Amino acid sequence: MVTAQTFVGLLPEIVVFLFSMLVLMIGVFSPRATGLTAGLAAFGALATFVTAVVLLAVGFEGSFFGDAYVVDGFALYFKLIVAGSAFFTVLAASRWSGRTGDAPEYLTLILSVAVGAMLLVSMRDLFGVFVAIELATIPSYALVAFDRTRRESAEGGMKYLLTGMIASSILLYGIVLIYGISGSAELADISRTFTGQLSPVALLGMVLLISGFAFKVSAAPFHFWTPDAYQGAPTSAAAFLSVAPKAAIFAVLLRIFLEGMPEAAPSWTAVAAVLAIVTMFIGNLFALRQSNVRRMLAYSSVAHSGYILVAFAALQGGGVERGVQAVLIYSAAYALMNLGAFFVIDLVGEEAKSYNGLFKTRPGVALSMAIFMAALVGIPPLSGFWGKAWIILAGAQSGSILTYVAVGALVINSVLSVPYYFGILRNMAFEEPVKGVEEPTGTGAVKLSVYILAIATTLFLFFIGPLSALAGASGLL
Amino acid sequence: MITTITIFIPLAGAILMLLMKNADERTTRYTALGVAAVPLLLSLYIYLAHGSDLGAASLTQSFDWVSSLGIGYRVGLDGLGFGMFFLSALLTLIAVVASWDVHTNLRQYYAILFIAELGMLGVFAAQDLILFYVFFEVTLIPMYLLVGIWGDENRRPAAIKFFIYTFFGSTVMLAGFLALGILSGPNFSIEALNAGGGLSRAAQIAIAVPILVGLLIKVPAVPFHSWLLDVYVSSPISTNVVLSGILPKLGTYGLIKIAIPLLPQGVEPFLPYLAAFGVLNIIYGAFVAFMQTDLKALVAYSSIGTLGFILLGIASGNALGINGAVMQQVTHGLYSALLFILVGIIASRAGTRRIADLGGLAARMPWAGGLLALGAFAAMGVPGLAVFVSEFMSIMGGYTAFPVQGILAALGILLGAMYLLYMLQRVIFGPTKQPALAEAADAGPMEMAAIVPLALLLVVLGIFPSLLINVQRPAVEVVLAAIGGS
Repeated sequence: MVTAQTFVGLLPEIVVFLFSMLVLMIGVFSPRATGLTAGLAAFGALATFVTAVVLLAVGFEGSFFGDAYVVDGFALYFKLIVAGSAFFTVLAASRWSGRTGDAPEYLTLILSVAVGAMLLVSMRDLFGVFVAIELATIPSYALVAFDRTRRESAEGGMKYLLTGMIASSILLYGIVLIYGISGSAELADISRTFTGQLSPVALLGMVLLISGFAFKVSAAPFHFWTPDAYQGAPTSAAAFLSVAPKAAIFAVLLRIFLEGMPEAAPSWTAVAAVLAIVTMFIGNLFALRQSNVRRMLAYSSVAHSGYILVAFAALQGGGVERGVQAVLIYSAAYALMNLGAFFVIDLVGEEAKSYNGLFKTRPGVALSMAIFMAALVGIPPLSGFWGKAWIILAGAQSGSILTYVAVGALVINSVLSVPYYFGILRNMAFEEPVKGVEEPTGTGAVKLSVYILAIATTLFLFFIGPLSALAGASGLL
Repeated sequence: MITTITIFIPLAGAILMLLMKNADERTTRYTALGVAAVPLLLSLYIYLAHGSDLGAASLTQSFDWVSSLGIGYRVGLDGLGFGMFFLSALLTLIAVVASWDVHTNLRQYYAILFIAELGMLGVFAAQDLILFYVFFEVTLIPMYLLVGIWGDENRRPAAIKFFIYTFFGSTVMLAGFLALGILSGPNFSIEALNAGGGLSRAAQIAIAVPILVGLLIKVPAVPFHSWLLDVYVSSPISTNVVLSGILPKLGTYGLIKIAIPLLPQGVEPFLPYLAAFGVLNIIYGAFVAFMQTDLKALVAYSSIGTLGFILLGIASGNALGINGAVMQQVTHGLYSALLFILVGIIASRAGTRRIADLGGLAARMPWAGGLLALGAFAAMGVPGLAVFVSEFMSIMGGYTAFPVQGILAALGILLGAMYLLYMLQRVIFGPTKQPALAEAADAGPMEMAAIVPLALLLVVLGIFPSLLINVQRPAVEVVLAAIGGS
């Protein structure tokens, strides 16, 4: 039954959807008003963020549509991450999209991805999950291919589209198998099927489901679309896609595992551990070889998916609560540092050489980039450190040998990642500036976002207390 | 409060340095001196006012950081850390004085040096595992930048090698810390975790392994030392002061403050090996130092070698050895800083660091030559100088617990005397081979200002070791109570 409560629960999605339509309409009637559309889109994202904050602050909870859609602290937390990332992305994209002449379309696409991702984290029904994932993914194909001035953009978009379609079909196949054996797509009913000895069909369904998700979060060996898509995509789109939809997909995977298959934990934690180990090594080893910063960050995002998967591997024994917290904290920390690192590309360039001597020529940008790189390595007290620390804490409590191995791999991979992140730092601090490698395209708004994100990444040490309390009271479990 | 203020004054100093955009070189240097003097004066005040009262951590301050996990901002000074806290402030000041070989981007140099000082002061005052780790890592990027930007032509590979090795060590150590804290509570307060935190022996051993490995890489204990030579040789002199005087002690201090008292049963089976590592450092350092043709490399290996006495003293687990180790941390810092600065002075006059090309310093540069001899005597452990006291205590303590290792370490002193005397003979005496040295001026007032305080402290602590030992003894007794030794 649809009541006023339902509307309140859906308010963040309603707000962001209305603004996305508004932006599109303004584009139709006054295509020259790029400032107005960008401003409206940013305001819409901010309003969504505020709505979610208010719902979280008043402790709003409820489940709707026959328990298929739930609004709890956990879902609202991820809606915050999505809306916040959308805000910074719109801010950073305003000037660039204005120059393409298609600003309203671009900004609408970003907000549509946000709608999908925000719906996704509330889904408690596998078909709802599938629809929301598609809602978030289909606009993102267009986002990747949006830059008509670069061939790589179309190429990246095409690769992303084809592999994304395959992934969706695998995911759907898995969902259908699970539906077939459980007789229901709701997580509560599925949890009654996934008990004791799993039937072969259930196992196959679970494996296909995990594979589909692995595609979407670019976990190895399903990661190969990532570097091409992120390299081709406009910078702001790559930044947004590497953060917001990914966080939402991890969130819903967490919900599916913990609410839908809690008793099958030994199987899926083992799968997560193996995926995590492979993903971390592949991401980092390939990132080591890149001289293009965009591509390097793409592989780095693969590696970070691996780190988060270690938290999934820790969801057993005494590590369940801490593991959930780790995913929440890591997602927030990663959003801040990775958005910032990507935006710097718009200010400086994508060739590693462009960063030479940046501390001399543009100390503010250089310091921000240094903070993002150090945070991605996991140097304390920056944001990335807390994410990794929570994963190790959860791993230590899990009591499983395979998880310990995954934690060991995480430690080794943190060290493996030093050369490529610090390669940028080295260029900025040690080399002499070279002129005219690339013309920076970014502007004041991008710079502002970068500075805000750098400050937030640094001051994360003051948020970690309240954030962990929030994560502890998230409502999942 | 005074502890927190002392730790964070360097941060204010670093910001001040970056803001002084139009200052000339002279103003910059004097401002940096002024900033560096403040933590030193504050720690001198702490010594005079509270020095007798540092058994358990005093002058504490604590805030909850992540209350659900028992992580907090907890700082305080006890006798274990105070000596190094003081030395960090002192050596940073000396490094500022000794930064005459840095001319480019001076403001940035001092700013980065101050950030490193913040980390060092913080480590020796931290009373929380996570806070300890945070400060531990805060020193890392500044050191990377100091070597990588202002070092010699080989600096970049040296800097990144240094970073990767020590980051590996500290990340492994972090995993151990996190496991220790989460499994015993969760609680990360060092004081509350004393004596095992209720963990079983097997759990303690499993947690002790990563912590020991991480700390030994930081020291560095000999099989883990390969990052060290390049970075020592490539650094500017003033960075060397901090790099050799303080950074290895982050590792040894971690052993005394965290590994031993917090995981007594976990560390216990490894103690004979720790002592053996110490002996290995002493003997390997001496042999390799013997073969060096570069004066700076010789000093670097000598510095690694005498770190071995700290490890031996820690491993002994008795009052004599641990007191010796805690004191050796300070005396080692004094003498190695002295020697590195003198190497810098001599190399700047002679235009070379090759030992074979030097000679006749005693005639040309009596002060520099004389103080080099004093530093070398200190390194040998000649009685009357501070290093003798601490090395003697470490060896006696080590001998009581592990006779074989103790005897071998004593043998190491002989080896040390051999290569140091051989070095002195070639560098100080004999004819002047380098034409540049024929007209070389002796150490100037600025240079004397950097080395004389170190030499004086070596002599004073040699005659009155109780000045330091009285401060540290009550805290060492707390450690002994935790491990059940005497």
